[in-house]
Amino acid sequence: MGIRIKFWGVRGSIPSPGPDTVRYGGNTICLEARCGKADRLVIIDAGSGIRSLGNSLMAADVADGLREVDIFLTHTHWDHILGFPFFAPLYIPGMTVRIHGSSSYEENHLEKVIGGQFMYRYFPVRVEELASIIEYVELGEGAFDLGEGLLLRTKRLNHPVSCMGYRFECDGKSFATVFDMEPFQNLFEAEKSGSAFDERLAREGEETAAEQNRLVETFYAGADLIIHDAQYTRREYHTARKGWGHSAVEDVIEAAQGNRVKRLALIHHDPERTDDQIDELAGKFHTEGSSDEVMDVFFAREGMEITL
Amino acid sequence: MERSLQRDSIPTNRIERYMARMPSLPVTVNRVMEICNSPSTSPYDLNRVISLDPVLTGQVLRLVNSAYYGLRNEVTSLPRAIIMLGMNTIKNLVVSSAILSTMSGRDDVHALDMDAFWLHSLSAAVAAKRLAACIKIPAENQEEYFVGGLLHDLGKIPLNSLFPSEYAEIMAEAPQKGTDLCEKERKFLGIDHTQVGGMIAEKWKLGVAIEDCLRLHHESLSASERNVDRVRIVALADLCARRFGPDNAGTCCFDEEAVDMMRLALSIDQTDLDDLRETMADEIEKAMIFLHIAGGDHGDKD
Ligand SMILES: [Zn+2]
Ligand SMILES: [Zn+2]
Repeated sequence: MGIRIKFWGVRGSIPSPGPDTVRYGGNTICLEARCGKADRLVIIDAGSGIRSLGNSLMAADVADGLREVDIFLTHTHWDHILGFPFFAPLYIPGMTVRIHGSSSYEENHLEKVIGGQFMYRYFPVRVEELASIIEYVELGEGAFDLGEGLLLRTKRLNHPVSCMGYRFECDGKSFATVFDMEPFQNLFEAEKSGSAFDERLAREGEETAAEQNRLVETFYAGADLIIHDAQYTRREYHTARKGWGHSAVEDVIEAAQGNRVKRLALIHHDPERTDDQIDELAGKFHTEGSSDEVMDVFFAREGMEITL
Repeated sequence: MERSLQRDSIPTNRIERYMARMPSLPVTVNRVMEICNSPSTSPYDLNRVISLDPVLTGQVLRLVNSAYYGLRNEVTSLPRAIIMLGMNTIKNLVVSSAILSTMSGRDDVHALDMDAFWLHSLSAAVAAKRLAACIKIPAENQEEYFVGGLLHDLGKIPLNSLFPSEYAEIMAEAPQKGTDLCEKERKFLGIDHTQVGGMIAEKWKLGVAIEDCLRLHHESLSASERNVDRVRIVALADLCARRFGPDNAGTCCFDEEAVDMMRLALSIDQTDLDDLRETMADEIEKAMIFLHIAGGDHGDKD
């Protein structure tokens, strides 16, 4: 019962195989969640980790009759979608794969981006040749009943493309995904020295950024687990990585701590980050707990499984 | 008028389809492209170029107020929208609107002179913001009046683009006979630009305050109690833009009596109105410099 989560890919930006990433893993983001009595399958993101997940589903669930799969894409950047054509259930006749993702200013953008990967110049199989049916569901901010006792809440995050945070609730347990995400910034403050600086805009920018960051915190507050972008350290973030759309470990921990989060999984590891470096960060930031007072903080590792 | 449409065949579905892909104004296109293609776009420049175009402003506010965000209150401020949506999304949204504008081309037979339309919209925006200051609207809320003025005639764009020949006839007749443009629009098309403006504001979820500005600026006495001052300010700004502004948006002749009535209803001094002329001229000039377009002959276009 409750919710079980498995990490099939934890890396950000680009798959990073090699001797330095064997322990935490080099595949880009893909999570599997099993929810409630029905063991309802929810997949989050289709990074390169989804290939192994697909194979595992083929061996068990698909053989047992699974014919519907729900994938929730946080956003359409490459590292979060590049594994999709290699997701084996796509090639099973009678399979329906529903892709949920953030709406954009463009109509049918999910279909354009995801379906667009099946073009002969990128990939040898055309969308028309897939045995399965792909359906696209574009989401705005809100609350959705997914059936079988599974509830979904969505919140837009700050990233250089439309990006959605997901919060799933089932059997009184909950987890939230907060990636890719950089805290909302007051863009009008950055140019204080510039001739265009306008105090009124800067004040409004300050209020807006603070309010949106508060809303993100409210969105994940009280969750049993949050899985949060923490690609950088604070020092790295402040050296030329502002505006790239990712968060710093220290900031994430600080924000989560004040919001009754029980466990915090840090994810979207930088492709340059070696296992030893992550261990070193873990030595600094890891805490064990899983209660409101002492939060369990850890760096997500490929293959890791968590039961809520 | 053989070509005029039947009153009962209001082409609202065509208008709604057009609304989803509305091109920005030709006058801002080049600068929009330049700013959005720059790798180091300043948020101030982005804010500025959007705020000079009623379509772009509307599109950005539409996105932030649509199902996109689960907001309790409408966002009517561009800087807010820029931070919430992020520079990248805004730049791409704005560019796609600008590209539509380059595709629709300037050489279509359109009744509405788009440069004149731009001048009128911006003049009304500047006037509305200034008049808001005159009636002691706090500084942080004056921008909403600017937006109301900027967008007030937005409903003309779909009518002009979708029914160019009908609209040309409407424009040719309206000023001469001194009758109301809205009346002519309704006669020929079965719908007028304030109704279309109301549709846009509703569909784009711009909020009742802005919706009332678009819908009621020609009948400002019908505004609801809550928005009556705002609608009157925009209505007066519209009249002043026609009186002092360098444009001819073709709405109707300037009406001295209407200005006086509106001015008195809002308790605005005549001297404040006199000051408006200079303010508008200054702001238009600044905008033209910012957009890198030559001023000059815009003043004596008729
Ligand atoms: Zn990413
Ligand atoms: Zn990304």
